[in-house]
Amino acid sequence: MNFLQSMRKPVAALVILAIAFSISWAPAHAAMVSTDEILKQNQRDCDRERLHMLLDRSEVRVQLEAWGVNSEEAKARIDSLTDQEIAEIAAQLEQMPAGGSALGTLVGAALIVFIVLLITDILGVTDVFSFVKKGK
Amino acid sequence: MPVPAISCGKTGAIFLVLFVTLALGCAHLSLEQYCFSVSGLPRSMEIPGVPFYSQQDHLCGPAAMAMLLQWSGENFSPRDIVSEIFTPSRQGSLQSDLIAAARRHKRLAYPLQGLEPMLTELAAGHPVIVLQNLGLRWFPRWHYSVSTGYDMAEDVIILHSGEEAGRHMDWTLFVRTWRRADYWGLVVLPTGQIPASADEHSYLKAALGIEQAEQWEAAARAYSAALDRWQSSLGALMGLGNCRYRMGDLFGAEQAFRHAAKDNPDSGAAFNNLAHVLAEHGRYAEALEMAGRAVAIGGTRKHLYLQTLQEIQAVEQSGSD
Repeated sequence: MNFLQSMRKPVAALVILAIAFSISWAPAHAAMVSTDEILKQNQRDCDRERLHMLLDRSEVRVQLEAWGVNSEEAKARIDSLTDQEIAEIAAQLEQMPAGGSALGTLVGAALIVFIVLLITDILGVTDVFSFVKKGK
Repeated sequence: MPVPAISCGKTGAIFLVLFVTLALGCAHLSLEQYCFSVSGLPRSMEIPGVPFYSQQDHLCGPAAMAMLLQWSGENFSPRDIVSEIFTPSRQGSLQSDLIAAARRHKRLAYPLQGLEPMLTELAAGHPVIVLQNLGLRWFPRWHYSVSTGYDMAEDVIILHSGEEAGRHMDWTLFVRTWRRADYWGLVVLPTGQIPASADEHSYLKAALGIEQAEQWEAAARAYSAALDRWQSSLGALMGLGNCRYRMGDLFGAEQAFRHAAKDNPDSGAAFNNLAHVLAEHGRYAEALEMAGRAVAIGGTRKHLYLQTLQEIQAVEQSGSD
């Protein structure tokens, strides 16, 4: 019993030290930017760039012009989409055969239809995709 | 794809099912034809020194992972990691559990999809865990094997599978069983090595997995390796800085964030994190300047940068009082 009593102070000191140490290191600073955030931002930038590249393809441009939309205007519209909308579009693109991650491959007919309808949706000419928020 | 818990079915049933699927499948490219699409592949490859564990009693997942953990440098038997990977109620192992276990053991777990990345990894000397469906789509028999090589002349893939090490499996049959599992594969490497088929973003996501498993040192090694290949990668530099910060290596963190800010002068995040580290060093003037730069860059995280600036101002004032 005496031994336990005599150990009380050193043990308490150790506990306090341990707590102090864990408080100073355990949580990263709330206002620091995590690596996860950086990579998500990267992903969003890549998605946007990919859409731009799709708009540069001649098949897509021809079709858009037939609808009376020039591709510069289309790009400006893409830039005005929110990150959330871009992510949804990218997810849709992933599911397209030949259109998804391998940009070098042939752009399929379905993909052209998709991208054209997407732009016309943004312009408010059509109303096909629920994830594109309309202006009004 | 629905996530199946993978249990290894009884071998007899598997062979019966294999026979049926062999008869039903459609034509496939031979291995040789496939290799034409991936340049520079050797005609045959068998990775030496991949240990083998017999995959008994539904434990194909733990056995496959034990093989790769041991191959990548530590002594593990399947028994050591059963509790981390195997889900008794489902008599199988989830893909996500395999990935998580590798990260807990300080390995880089890199999921891949498709024949070309898999062949690229094998050619680079990296064994690949492959998820096969040895049954049919509507009558699945899930199984993890470890692929250790291939041989174009024989048109086979080489697998540590079931109770057989280095089994030669007909390429076409393998492709069918793998396709039914959506071509899912997993590379497990010691941190510091980069999968041959990886691009910057997918590699950094794998490194982030190690960071999120709170293996700071291993994650820092993985980010450092990324910098050897993608010199001014913002993701790698920020990851490195964040890991060093969590390890208490303020000086190292400062270096990484400084490098990130120098190479990516439009990244508010780099200046923001640098400001925090400088403030912890007590270098308030410089910290305030960096936080100010972050706020000036602004963007979607501007509120966060403002918070940083205010925190540092508050700490500085309380220090000087």
